[in-house]
Amino acid sequence: MTFPYKGYAGQYLDIDLSKGKVLKRKMEEEWARLYLGGTGVAAKILWDRTGPKTNPFSPQNIVVVGTGPLTGVMFSPSGRFMFASKSPLTGVWAESHAGGFFGPEMKYAGVDFIIFNGRSPKPVYLFLRDGKAELLDASALWGRETAETTDMIREQHKNPEIETAVIGPAGENQVLYSCIIVDYYRAAGRTGIGAVLGSKNVKGIAASGSLGLEAYDMEKYLAANEGEMEKLNDPLWKESLSSLRRYGTTDLVAIINEIGRLPTKNHWTGFYEDADDIGPEAIATKFRIAQEACHGCAIGCKYIYKIMDGPFVGGPAGGPEYETLMAFGSNCMNNDLASIIHLGTKCDLLGLDTISCGKSISFAMDLWEQGILTEKDTGGLDLSWGNVDSMVQLVEMIAKREGLGRLLSKGVRKAAEKIGGDAWKYAVHVKGLEASGQDPRAHQSVGLTYATNVRGADHLRSLSSLEELGYPEIVTQRFGEEKTEAILDIMSPRHKGELVWDMEDLYAIVDSAVICKYGTMWPPVFYFDTFSNVITPLTGMKEWSDPKYVRRTAERISHLRRAFNHRLGITRKEETLPKRLLQDPMPTGPSKGGLPDLAEMLDEYYDFRGCDRETGYPRKEKLLELGLDYVAKDLEQRKMLR
Amino acid sequence: MFKDLTKILAIDVEKCTGCRNCELACSIHHTGTFNPRRARIQVIKEERKDLVVPIVCLQCESPLCEKACPNGAIQRNEFGTLYVNNEVCIGCQNCVAACIYGGIEIDPYTRKAIKCDLCGGDPACIKACDYGAITFVESSPKGRLQRAKGVEVLSQIFEASFAEAEE
Repeated sequence: MTFPYKGYAGQYLDIDLSKGKVLKRKMEEEWARLYLGGTGVAAKILWDRTGPKTNPFSPQNIVVVGTGPLTGVMFSPSGRFMFASKSPLTGVWAESHAGGFFGPEMKYAGVDFIIFNGRSPKPVYLFLRDGKAELLDASALWGRETAETTDMIREQHKNPEIETAVIGPAGENQVLYSCIIVDYYRAAGRTGIGAVLGSKNVKGIAASGSLGLEAYDMEKYLAANEGEMEKLNDPLWKESLSSLRRYGTTDLVAIINEIGRLPTKNHWTGFYEDADDIGPEAIATKFRIAQEACHGCAIGCKYIYKIMDGPFVGGPAGGPEYETLMAFGSNCMNNDLASIIHLGTKCDLLGLDTISCGKSISFAMDLWEQGILTEKDTGGLDLSWGNVDSMVQLVEMIAKREGLGRLLSKGVRKAAEKIGGDAWKYAVHVKGLEASGQDPRAHQSVGLTYATNVRGADHLRSLSSLEELGYPEIVTQRFGEEKTEAILDIMSPRHKGELVWDMEDLYAIVDSAVICKYGTMWPPVFYFDTFSNVITPLTGMKEWSDPKYVRRTAERISHLRRAFNHRLGITRKEETLPKRLLQDPMPTGPSKGGLPDLAEMLDEYYDFRGCDRETGYPRKEKLLELGLDYVAKDLEQRKMLR
Repeated sequence: MFKDLTKILAIDVEKCTGCRNCELACSIHHTGTFNPRRARIQVIKEERKDLVVPIVCLQCESPLCEKACPNGAIQRNEFGTLYVNNEVCIGCQNCVAACIYGGIEIDPYTRKAIKCDLCGGDPACIKACDYGAITFVESSPKGRLQRAKGVEVLSQIFEASFAEAEE
């Protein structure tokens, strides 16, 4: 019998790498109904198949590759897919998403999910073509950079339409924050899943498909889809969209520096004096040559650069996003824009997460300034702030795990443990994940987002732009008149527990659908009703037309991911912030003096989430209400249920 | 009686972001499914050269595909547009070889030729393009000039890459 719900390809692959066997299975109906797709389904699979003792680099760890029902079915922006695993960098929940064209192509080739189990005895890559799936020899690809790998795979199959998701030398060498590069210059960047694939001897996945996808009721689905697009095209968002189209995420360098939230000098402050040098206008006038978009996307935030002269001649290739400009720019006190672009591309080619890589380098520069690292430790490298030559060398050394690169390849938490002494004070991370480009001292709710994010210190699981950019009507619609003023006050902790709880659930659905954060995070157009409008006509799952059902599913996914982490030892104690962001008042800039009131926000968040304030553990009745009986049973035995 | 073809598609390559939404819209219109490979418009990409080129039938005045078809499957419809009559097409691919532009291809599902029929006068791809890269212009010297201008940038890219190759 075929899979009853449309919008899905209807099949998943269960791959035993150790035996070289690819099992094709029908998609589980329960996965679609209770977890939708993407992060939701991945959480269910990871909960079932891994445990507290699973070593991230052992054959027992798994990598899940997931799409969602909205992937590749014309909903804009839905050209995305995701990876999930147990992270070698943090030891907890790992999840990373990417855009481009691979996700839709994987579905057109006939596959919704892939589960990599075991470890291949030799390098392989997975090739998908119209319902066929095979593991092919990758020994000729091993050691190659990501772009060359893609070129070679396309050449090998004489098919330029093949889309890829591959690791670079960094992943093969198991640098703990290795990423997966998709279609040349898009990255599933965070949490080091590239290294897990490397440990399994999997170079990547290549897909080409012409199987196509159906809708349950095409006419109704297209009408619902158009309704959502009309919301996005409301004149209210015209400026937001035109900025995204002209600058992409680079615009954030200017916007965020203005509110004093741009990580600068290893998160010492939130204001960078030379921000204009690495900002949107500089990029647009000097290096940007074209606009690009992911599959079926009406926003089109990606851009292509070319550097014509100087030491960093390069491109055309995808230009650095905001996070890369921050990580290799302001946070290393480096205003040489061409060097940042070069470093970003180098990371793409080597398969490194630009955020964790940049942050590991800024951490080392900070230790150099403090005198904790000296020439003896760096092998003669001068790590003064903004020393571009040293940064370029370090990126290569990290990918190869040579010299100081070996230490920095472990990320800031483990590097600080090795160095000892006061080094930990300069390691800016939560749960072992280097912080992304925000600062809670300038934006209270970011502190709660960082602390509670299941994958560690970054923005993508629950960041709220509502108070950052000020959208009173939307805040009132979602949270009520009486809370609007406090929520809109970016430095007030009041109601921020509710705000972040709500965002986390909203993004849980976004990440299961799977769509981009643009359109939801900013501009804040799509909300829970978006999904109740489009999922039913697309898939035929009737229950999804009830907004309450959508919310309940979101909560289920959020709780399942949290439970996964509890089982690995995460409690309220770990849901905190690094010293620099929690205790050292913002020293300079527009948000000078700011500090987050984390404890107050956490209490409120736990109340809304249905968790115990003291431990962060879930309440039994909450899990039962969400149908997570099997989770409640497991946690109860471990005394992790309240 | 056939009407004369009055309108053609013009593509501005510089506006195209390569998102492939035109392919999706085309496949929905013609096949009722989401399947870019069955679209009558195809976006050709060469990421390493920043080349993104949507290719669609030009509605030539003297169509090579029509002449190449051994069965007479390429016919004019009531709007004056050449289309492939599926009942007659045997999938021999002569038309694909004959078209110097790549404007006609084989449907991977039916194994028969497919080409743009302008959706009977209301092309789905135009509505689907959020970047305004596809327009419907009069089939007049002015319209054809606009169509030519839209792909001018390609000749510059090709010239540059030929020059690079010679070096």
